[in-house]
Amino acid sequence: MAVRPQHMHDGGIVERRLRPIYDWLDNGVNKKALQEAEKVLKKSPTLQAARALKALALLRLGKKCEAQAVLEALAEEKPSDDTTLQAMTISYRESQQLQKVCEAYEAAVRAEPSSEELHSHLFMAYVRVGDHRAQHRAALQLYRIAPKNPYYFWAVMSIVLQAKSTEDVSKKSILLALAQRMVDNFIMENKMEAEQEARLYMMILELQEKWEDLLAFVEGPVYAQLVPGSMLQASIPYLRRLGRWRRLNLVCKDLLWENQDRWDYYMPYFDSVFELMKGAECDESEGSADDTAEKCHEFICSLVESVSAGRALRGPYLARLELWRRLAAHEAGGEAAALLGSARALCVQYLRVFAAKPCAVADLRPYLAIIPQQEREDHCRDFLTCLDFDENSEPDNAADIQRHVSCLCAWRLCAPPPDAADSLALADALRAHYLRCVGAAPAPTPPAPTDASPADAYATLAAHHYCYAAVQRHEAGPLVQALGVLELCARRSPAQPHAKLLLLALYHMLGAGSAADAAFARLEAKHVQLASLGWLHAARLPAAAPALAAARLADVHTFYQHHAKDSVEQLTYAYKYGTFEKLVELGAWRARLEACAWAALAARERALLQPPAPPAGPPIPPALPDALTDNRDLSVIVSWEPAQRRDAELRARTFERDVAYLRLKDALVRALALCAEAAAAHDNTHLLRQLDVCVDAFDAAMERCRREYRTPEEDLSVSAPLPSRIFALVQSPASYGALYTRLLRVARAACERGEGEGGAGAVGRAAAALSAALRAARPALAHLAPASLWHTRDALEQLSNVLEFAGVMTYVMGVCREVVTPTNSRKASKKKASVSPERAATGPALGEAGGEAAALLGEVRARLEAWPAAWAAPHLASGVEDRLAGEYRCPVAGQLERSYREALRHARDTLDDKIKYLKSMQ
Amino acid sequence: MTTIRPFTCEDMLYFNNVNLDPLTETYGLGFYTQYLAHWPEYFQVAESPSGEIMGYIMGKAEGHGENWHGHVTALTVSPDYRRLGLAATLMNLLEEVSEKKKAYFVDLFVRVSNKVAINMYKNLGYIVYRTVLEYYSGDPDEDAYDMRKACSRDVNKKSVIPLSHPVRPEDVD
Repeated sequence: MAVRPQHMHDGGIVERRLRPIYDWLDNGVNKKALQEAEKVLKKSPTLQAARALKALALLRLGKKCEAQAVLEALAEEKPSDDTTLQAMTISYRESQQLQKVCEAYEAAVRAEPSSEELHSHLFMAYVRVGDHRAQHRAALQLYRIAPKNPYYFWAVMSIVLQAKSTEDVSKKSILLALAQRMVDNFIMENKMEAEQEARLYMMILELQEKWEDLLAFVEGPVYAQLVPGSMLQASIPYLRRLGRWRRLNLVCKDLLWENQDRWDYYMPYFDSVFELMKGAECDESEGSADDTAEKCHEFICSLVESVSAGRALRGPYLARLELWRRLAAHEAGGEAAALLGSARALCVQYLRVFAAKPCAVADLRPYLAIIPQQEREDHCRDFLTCLDFDENSEPDNAADIQRHVSCLCAWRLCAPPPDAADSLALADALRAHYLRCVGAAPAPTPPAPTDASPADAYATLAAHHYCYAAVQRHEAGPLVQALGVLELCARRSPAQPHAKLLLLALYHMLGAGSAADAAFARLEAKHVQLASLGWLHAARLPAAAPALAAARLADVHTFYQHHAKDSVEQLTYAYKYGTFEKLVELGAWRARLEACAWAALAARERALLQPPAPPAGPPIPPALPDALTDNRDLSVIVSWEPAQRRDAELRARTFERDVAYLRLKDALVRALALCAEAAAAHDNTHLLRQLDVCVDAFDAAMERCRREYRTPEEDLSVSAPLPSRIFALVQSPASYGALYTRLLRVARAACERGEGEGGAGAVGRAAAALSAALRAARPALAHLAPASLWHTRDALEQLSNVLEFAGVMTYVMGVCREVVTPTNSRKASKKKASVSPERAATGPALGEAGGEAAALLGEVRARLEAWPAAWAAPHLASGVEDRLAGEYRCPVAGQLERSYREALRHARDTLDDKIKYLKSMQ
Repeated sequence: MTTIRPFTCEDMLYFNNVNLDPLTETYGLGFYTQYLAHWPEYFQVAESPSGEIMGYIMGKAEGHGENWHGHVTALTVSPDYRRLGLAATLMNLLEEVSEKKKAYFVDLFVRVSNKVAINMYKNLGYIVYRTVLEYYSGDPDEDAYDMRKACSRDVNKKSVIPLSHPVRPEDVD
């Protein structure tokens, strides 16, 4: 963040002296900035601006306490020069002390009550802390000093935000009435200047549900002057609210004559037609509204005809389907057919007209469901053959290939779900189509580097069908075939993301983390995409490729952290530019990302992947928000499953599992952090109580989840999230609930300050219980090897749980060891240890538990040798294999093998490391 | 058939099918929110009937005096919704907003290799005003065309008299 203020006031010597400090700070050379500040302060030790910059340099060098001391001394002096205050503001912002910025400017405006600039900074300081009342006061004060419109509307907006944030209904209405009166006065005095002022006024009326007033305002002179040319469109929502169906109908028709393709005009038009059909109201009798299905149909047909020949617009055609859908829902199914013909015929007609557009099937998809399922399945081939194609057609130009692909896709969406053999046969045929297109010379689809090729859809549709077969047969073979054709497609058409997304999803289905990571890298997803696509990749990595997970999770962490710091500034921009309608939106967005479930999980996974070396502990995680938000983009992979297979509950169900999993991981990290703090604290009674609560809650939650999450209800699907990792954790043959709780109770006992009965004896008993649990778990955990390639993902998830436990176990044992024999006393080995003999006697008990854990991990380690036997990948079809090997040298089998080899190597190294440590405790 | 509406923050969660196209840059979050906070009327999205994002345009108004103009920062359409005239619809919208703001012209930058886009802009009335050398960093760096179209306020079309020589990125204001 640039430090230098936009205006420097003195312009002279001071500015010249400070300039090098700003330069160093802006370039991130904080040490030089500090030296430069010291130099200036030698000459003029009281110069406030230099001291403020010194504080900032100190803070950025990590010297928090020193920085704080300088800032406190400065704040005492109540500076009022802007250069100093702005430098202090940055320090406060970077150290998350936003309230202090308010205090600094409050003191400054007391010293200079007529300064517009200081008052405006004070206003922004209140914005950052969300103090709407204080904002209101500051804005009014500003308006008194400098009567400018923006300040007045800052005050109005601050009242609106107060109203929005109160639960008290009468207070809310008083505040909104006040806000409205403020703007009414301005309108009367003819002082309105900007579009956003009009929009703020509309926001106030909307919050009061004053629809009549809104309509009058939109149709009035002020709106026409400030937002010219948009009256009709703006009136739509209010006409709808007021039930003025006839007017709405006429307005929408007018708009549709001008824009036959605008769906946002069709929808309210249909609403009005169907309300008028009910005979809802007869208000104004101006013009002839469409109040019957016939008139509506006639209007749409006239729109179809009005479009110049040769350029069919999708809007009116799709509007007919929408009319059919609404008539059917309106208990007038017979009428729909009588007026428009069969739904199937309409859908087929749509396809026939628009099949050459890549979006034809996406448009049609929501309407296929209006054809009764039996009819849809019986006549699915109508879609395939409506342009004289069939599954064996070999079109030879780009337009025909697109048409063929559209017909194939629509056919598949209507066909009954195929059995495995049919899926495979179709997938092979589609793959042959793809290979024919990429092999033909000259290529029938000249590859434009910026465009996808229509033939790519053969490859992706083939992949989906291979996947259906694989899921039905629980066999990896078809997935390997799918991966082969997708690798080819992703390289041939780098501009289209579908093949890369499918590669990512299918490699994960097989647990091949490194290969998936390579596919993810090709997508170049970043920033906000790390939030919306985390479910697809980074969330699976701790199991599939733990060695790569840390880096990917760190990226996620950086994104959220940056947003948390940056987003509050966006609110100040919105005031600065007077975009009041975006203020509410930006505030809600900020809250949404702050409560993101995935952000919380990523942070906890990260802490568990690499626990620090004791005695350091992970920081105690902030409490999880009550209402976690789901920010996953689940529609990024297109599904070709028939309509009846659509799972309406998928989002809610998978999110609920994600949250349950997050809560378990949160409890674990919290417990580790509390262990570390309790071990370090002198008086830890309070911490131990918290630890007890945390461990008990974890134990209960594990048991509850074990009962609740037995097995995923749904089949695997390439477009949906893979089953939550909670299943592998709570349904493991060894009880992780027991293992973790007993482990944590050992730490709890070791941290107990009281000696004697509460100390060593308790540690011994807890350690013995842990040893018993470890012994019991050993046979179950030793048998993790996958039965075949298909089962590898499951096996790797199970293995990752062992590795995670190993990490937590060694960490907790490390904490215990620190308590019993602190590092200092161990290093000073010759000197007498400062620990009581009683406490030292707990050593052997811990050692025994460590040995038991080492034995368990050793057995898991030994059995890893058996894993590769499952991984003989089937060969790819020769056409694909040849091309891949010849052109790209990336046979799928090689990718899989590399992924698994890396996962196993990581597991071996981790286990060796932990075993060595645990053995050293004995 | 399209719904045109203002871009909202939440759209950023669902624009993957547009932004995973390699030529569409995904910027840092603050870049989008800054545009939303500053020029919301210039940031519009085209949505399909099923609610999918088909494309969007983001732009701004800037410059002083006769250089006051609308600028297209990003215009992108999902590969699945191309050749439907969506880009033209979105450009029209941005030009209308610029007219309302009494801009002199609208300008944009495009990679010299992006033939499809350059042709489209030409069909919409844009001319190549100048070449900006090595504007896009990469391996190797790529030149940009600075393309322009005059608004009605520029009666004499002074803003669209092409420069005869290329410029460096640092000379672009």
